[in-house]
Amino acid sequence: MKVLVVNNMAPFVWGGAEELAMHLQSNLIISGHQAEILRIPFQWEPSRRIPSQMLMVRALEVANVDHVIALKFPAYLLRHPRKTLWLLHQYRQAYDLFDAGQTNLPTGSAGHELQSVIRHGDLQAFSESAKIYTNSEVTRKRLRKYNGFDSEVLLPPVNDPQLFPGGIAGDYIFAGGRVNGLKRQYLLLEALALADQRVRLLIAGPPDSPEDALRLQELVERLDLVDRVKLDLRFLPRAVYASYLNQCAAVAYLPYDEDSLGYVAMEAATAAKALITTADSGGILGLVKHQETGWVAQVNPEDLAMAMNAVYTCSEQTSCYGQSARILWESMNINWPETINSLLQ
Amino acid sequence: MKIALCSSYVPFIKGGARNIVEWLELMLQEQGHHVERIYLPQVDTPDLLFQQMFALRWIDLSMADRIICFRPQAHLIPHSHKILWFIHHIRSFYDLWHTPYRGFQDDYKISGFRDALHHVDDVGLREAKSIFTNSRVVAERLKTYNRIESEVLYPPILHPERFHSAGFNDEIVCICRLEHHKRQHLLIEALRSTKTPVNLSLFGVSSSSEYLHSLVDLISELGLASRVRLDNQWISEEEKVSRLSSCLAAAYLPVNEDSYGYPCLEASHSAKPILTTTDSGGVLELVDDGVNGYVVEPTPLALADAMDRLYLDRARTVAMGTQASEKISAMRISWPHVMQRLLQ
Amino acid sequence: MNLLIFTPVNANSSIGGVTALVVHELIAQGCHVVVVSTESRDLIIAQCHNFATWILPWDDELVIRSLIQSADACIYQIGNHFAYHEGALRWLFEFPGLICLHDFYLGHLFASWAELNRVHADFILDQWYGSELARQFFTYSDSQSFIHATSQLMPMTEWVCAKADAVITHSQWGCGRVLKACPGPVLVVPLPPDAIIYPIGIGGSEGRTLNILAIGHVNPNKRVEDLLEAIGASQSLRERAILRLIGHIEPAVRQSLMVLASGLGVNLVIEGVVDENNLIKAIEQCDVVSCLRLPVLEAASGAVVKAMLYGKAVIVANAGFYAELPNSCAVKIDPDINNLQLSSALEDLLNDKAKVRRMGAEARRWASETFTSKHYAHQLIALVARMHSVIPINRALVNICLMYRHWSPVRAFLDSPEIMHPLRIFDITGKDI
Repeated sequence: MKVLVVNNMAPFVWGGAEELAMHLQSNLIISGHQAEILRIPFQWEPSRRIPSQMLMVRALEVANVDHVIALKFPAYLLRHPRKTLWLLHQYRQAYDLFDAGQTNLPTGSAGHELQSVIRHGDLQAFSESAKIYTNSEVTRKRLRKYNGFDSEVLLPPVNDPQLFPGGIAGDYIFAGGRVNGLKRQYLLLEALALADQRVRLLIAGPPDSPEDALRLQELVERLDLVDRVKLDLRFLPRAVYASYLNQCAAVAYLPYDEDSLGYVAMEAATAAKALITTADSGGILGLVKHQETGWVAQVNPEDLAMAMNAVYTCSEQTSCYGQSARILWESMNINWPETINSLLQ
Repeated sequence: MKIALCSSYVPFIKGGARNIVEWLELMLQEQGHHVERIYLPQVDTPDLLFQQMFALRWIDLSMADRIICFRPQAHLIPHSHKILWFIHHIRSFYDLWHTPYRGFQDDYKISGFRDALHHVDDVGLREAKSIFTNSRVVAERLKTYNRIESEVLYPPILHPERFHSAGFNDEIVCICRLEHHKRQHLLIEALRSTKTPVNLSLFGVSSSSEYLHSLVDLISELGLASRVRLDNQWISEEEKVSRLSSCLAAAYLPVNEDSYGYPCLEASHSAKPILTTTDSGGVLELVDDGVNGYVVEPTPLALADAMDRLYLDRARTVAMGTQASEKISAMRISWPHVMQRLLQ
Repeated sequence: MNLLIFTPVNANSSIGGVTALVVHELIAQGCHVVVVSTESRDLIIAQCHNFATWILPWDDELVIRSLIQSADACIYQIGNHFAYHEGALRWLFEFPGLICLHDFYLGHLFASWAELNRVHADFILDQWYGSELARQFFTYSDSQSFIHATSQLMPMTEWVCAKADAVITHSQWGCGRVLKACPGPVLVVPLPPDAIIYPIGIGGSEGRTLNILAIGHVNPNKRVEDLLEAIGASQSLRERAILRLIGHIEPAVRQSLMVLASGLGVNLVIEGVVDENNLIKAIEQCDVVSCLRLPVLEAASGAVVKAMLYGKAVIVANAGFYAELPNSCAVKIDPDINNLQLSSALEDLLNDKAKVRRMGAEARRWASETFTSKHYAHQLIALVARMHSVIPINRALVNICLMYRHWSPVRAFLDSPEIMHPLRIFDITGKDI
């Protein structure tokens, strides 16, 4: 089949969704299909330009394609008789973020009008899709709550599981992934300052902006943690990332209310590493069960420090948690062949 | 700079200026620019085209410093600094309108559509800060139909330094798709009338098994199996470089093509002369008869004669090859030139 | 060109008569024409006009549908009488085409159509005129009050013109609504005079008076005021000229013009809107017709052409179509109105009534040779060709509106600069869809 994967393009930005689309494409090809990615430019600032861009997508004509898999708003507005949604993102700023006042939609009637347009567009896209999947339980719930549609959770698999066999636990806790305010690496540093001396931390990943990197560096200085923290703030080559992960004692990932499990968490589980997260981290809680596969701490440095200490208290237990994490992960049966089957049924 | 390269396409159909766009992307990135490639699907039928053109108008690429647009109707995407590297119009409604290749019957509805398309192109093209074309042929069309001036900017090959000359054997090569309008059959027919032992090697894939079989039959009919090599498969870059480096000359004689075609450029980089015909169109922007190749009547006898001359007058052949190589710089077919023009 | 023409064919239909003449011309100019008769089934057609081609009944669904596919255009003759135009409406609403609009006022046509389409009709009234007026439309007890109320505020012109890819009207009068509703080109082409009966004599006022008639919507522009000032500036004109105004006029404007005339000592008569018969009488009785507004539309002003066909000299602005009128029958005034020039021109006419009558005769001769069915057919063919360059854009716009309608009221679409502004290169002017 000729399968078109349709995603947004925030020009000059490359992130997780783009990676996912690429892996989806290569795995479709491995499964014997022809696959291409269509990236549709989308700028959500200023918000008054959203309806015209929605129309842009809607007005496009696609020929020579048997099946469309669409990932985000407004890309999923593309018209095609056989369309599956794998919802990575709705436009949250019209839904839960709107309610929370964290939106770029204006106040007053203009904002409500925009919200209405987006909701109606979504209603149309969801109604006309053959099947809707979401990439996390959180997204699934949101879809049900705000748009009244049912969907199935389809977690994106790890792209290269063979790179994460795990290994002997080292002496550091590994915090991987993008570095920015929402990912809250700073919280780990604050916690580290309160934790036992033997606790060590490795924060490695690309900072969204120089300020994000600076913030962590300053914090390390101010809290006098220089000899207990290693900062490797850049886009890591895959092999380096893998070795950091395979050799760590445990993995810490505590974003604010994230939609999905997070690759870091999935890769950690693949490598049978125990996980530390916080109670408000969102999707990752699907994988982190307190004192079974890791620790779920309250959102404060003290509680987090306790979890970090616990990693070192009994290494066997930590290792056990890691194994349990892997078992839990594998029971979810999340791999590419299964995923593609689901998407194309 | 942040640069967006914009073009139209049909999913799962290759070709059509993809090389120009993708090689430019590589070269821009090598120079340290941030590049985004935007391909938007398009169906070129009169009843759907305007709606899709509306869609193009709603694209927001304001975060790019400039955009470069290639295939139609990408030139309608709005931007404060828009540059066109114009490859062709939607030809059915332009230069093919008065030919049998139009593809639509002539009625008032289609004529009206054509008028509307011309009008919007006239306006949209003029939004660009600069307009470049890939050949004089296309520049002429812009002038004739849209009354608009443009600059010819010839598309170079990626990493041309790969090509070189390692000597001249007895082989005339033709490396391009095996299609009727590329006229490999004419070369085979010509070979039959040659008086020297010059050989012919054809490399390429075919979209039509019919044409392929006709070539095979022709070779057999004319008893030329020992002198014609027909290699019906995708040739690797390495092998292409190698074949061109050792050949006597390259042949490329498409019917009235828009531009000179990469095969000519590859041959020129390999310092080999090019054999072509008077009716090959854009190829003649590159090839001058007797200077960097031979331009002859599109008949087997004329081609045969040229093939013999290439074989016999080696000194001339080598000299023309050198000229071919020098012509490239004379015509400023290079990535530095392209970058300089596009980014000025 | 293949044309499918929807028209009444009845011998007693004047629209049928005019159309038959035009069809003859279209055929003479190389078109293939098929006629579809649009009369209601229960209207018995004893005799038809001669169209010199096939006439098909409008309810022959299969045949008509297939003819529509192969036609270059559908041409719909539309007038106010439902019994004559039922078939046209049936097909127009499914297949937009070029409308020849014979009446701007279509209240009766709509009311009859609404009998079988009430829900849709209510929606249409609401859409064009708002809920307040819409509510009133079907509440009038007698014909007089119905006409009186609806002709100004709910003439239903828009309802039909919105379905047109192009409109030919026969005079400028009431064109505002057509322009607002029709997404394509609008052309004013006077009806061929062959079917219109003209009085043999020339008419005009007796003696030394100069009866000046001005026809058309009197809006607060300075042209009527210029006329008043020009007349007021000359004693002989004040004493012997009468200015008569016919056409829609706001009460406030009427008031201010009366005051001005009174102050200047000018004899001003304001008639307001009159019906066709009274309009013809007024033209007959006058000596010269003034139409000094600059033309809004590119083709002929129906009033001026009508005046010329009735044998009256005209006073016009020297611009556009009017500039091409022969000097032997038109008095041309510079567009930047020079009251002195105007005053002087009027005095000339006042003092040489014989010249006025000669100019009138010349006007009739010239107009009847120019505004022929040949001319009409020619304009129609040109409009069809032109229409086709606008249709692809309008169809695309309609498709997009239909898409947007799922998300928001269409009004929001047309009011959004983010959506509409980038579309300007398509020459879209944001008309109602």
